[in-house]
Amino acid sequence: MRTRTFVLAAAFVVFTASTRAQEGHPLTGTWAGDWGPAGAQRTHITMVMNWDGKAVTGVINPGPDAISLTAVSVDWGTWTVRIDAKGVAAEGRMEDIGSSHRRIVGTWSQGGAKGDFTLTRD
Amino acid sequence: MKQFVLGALIAVGAVAHAQLPVPALYDEWRRVTLDGVVTRVAWANPRAYVFVDVREPGGPVSNWAIEIGNPLDLEQRGWLRTTVRAGDSVSVEAVPARDNAKRALLSTFWKTSPRARVFSGSAATAKAAPTAAGPAPRWPDGQVRLGPPAGRKGYWGAASLTTMTESASKISVRADGLLANLSDADRVAPFQPWARAVYLHRQRTLLRDDPAARCLPTGGPRQFHTPNGFQFVEQRDLGRILVLFGGANRNWRIIYTDGRPLGQAAEAVPSYYGSSVGRWEKDALVVESVGYNERFWMTNGGLPHTEALRLVERFSRPDLNTLRYEVTVDDPRTYTRPWRSEWTVRWVPDREIEEFFCEENVESTFIR
Repeated sequence: MRTRTFVLAAAFVVFTASTRAQEGHPLTGTWAGDWGPAGAQRTHITMVMNWDGKAVTGVINPGPDAISLTAVSVDWGTWTVRIDAKGVAAEGRMEDIGSSHRRIVGTWSQGGAKGDFTLTRD
Repeated sequence: MKQFVLGALIAVGAVAHAQLPVPALYDEWRRVTLDGVVTRVAWANPRAYVFVDVREPGGPVSNWAIEIGNPLDLEQRGWLRTTVRAGDSVSVEAVPARDNAKRALLSTFWKTSPRARVFSGSAATAKAAPTAAGPAPRWPDGQVRLGPPAGRKGYWGAASLTTMTESASKISVRADGLLANLSDADRVAPFQPWARAVYLHRQRTLLRDDPAARCLPTGGPRQFHTPNGFQFVEQRDLGRILVLFGGANRNWRIIYTDGRPLGQAAEAVPSYYGSSVGRWEKDALVVESVGYNERFWMTNGGLPHTEALRLVERFSRPDLNTLRYEVTVDDPRTYTRPWRSEWTVRWVPDREIEEFFCEENVESTFIR
């Protein structure tokens, strides 16, 4: 059973690794990471974003407790991304832009707390 | 002199598809002259190499990997597998790697005993003279044939353009897709702001992230100016046309001509070549396609697109030796309006597409 689980997990990893390339809008896709005030106090984030031709829409932590994004903007000269959602404001810089595993690194504010965040595109 | 080196870069860069793109790998503004003895000839796709032991100043010997181009391209220019052998004394002018590795891109190659020039950049850019053009071949019912005339062989080879810009644009673009002047970016295509930023990033990074360099398929219009040609197989009884590609990964694409509807892009399984239906309008095949994925660059300069991409392609054959390709790009998520480009492709008579695979020497251990 353990071997079977391992094989299935390995197959999943191989499959997903081969399907990740994305050369369209740089924000489109699923992003994962965390935020927090310090290294030991981190909160996981999953963010899904999609470009519809006019605006980037999406949610933070999809599921029953999802928070819809209210505004996403990018300064394309500096690759600075501003993300707003109910109770959340984040601003970061996009890095490793040419990779499908590009990152956004910056500051995150939520519920009166502030910290840094890193999101990596899956 | 810079033009000479650039010519060699373009000639070889246009056929190379594995590993880093040529502009990202080699520093075109520098040159090295290497005198030494050939230790090995690696006659492999997509990039052939000659390895040369070179005595450095001070005495040590280094083994240089000289990239000489694509074997199929070299053969067409008269450099055969046996032209250079291990043990030959040679003199090479080449473009060195950006990372200062013992690796370089060939511009001129001499055998030194007896002295004879094997290859030069100017020779590499020379194209075979076109054969006399006859009328476009036709099926018995009068419809133009996109493939060979009945009972003959041949395929579509070199394109008049190897990168794509809006037809009205008269801008200087290298064959590998790099703009001569980045300020011309706004004339390449009617970009949305994000698409312009992505395009400029790809240009500034010398196309190093090109998916084709990782041997992924060259979908969209790029398939019709990828080196090593393509062929139409018109299966009229099955209501479809197969397009067989000799470059990139020897893939194929199906254009249905049986009258089926195109369908909706949102319903299609996103793919590199999309879903295509075609119809004949007099002597032109008009093909509409949707259902593209976002995993490829639709031309070698790094033009982006989204899954909303819709292409209308028009293939016509004004004479035996000429295919006219016209394409309208409609992707409202990437471009502010539909735009078009066009080029021609030359017929290669009496030959079949030769075997070419992208990955034969892609592994990092190939060089060392």
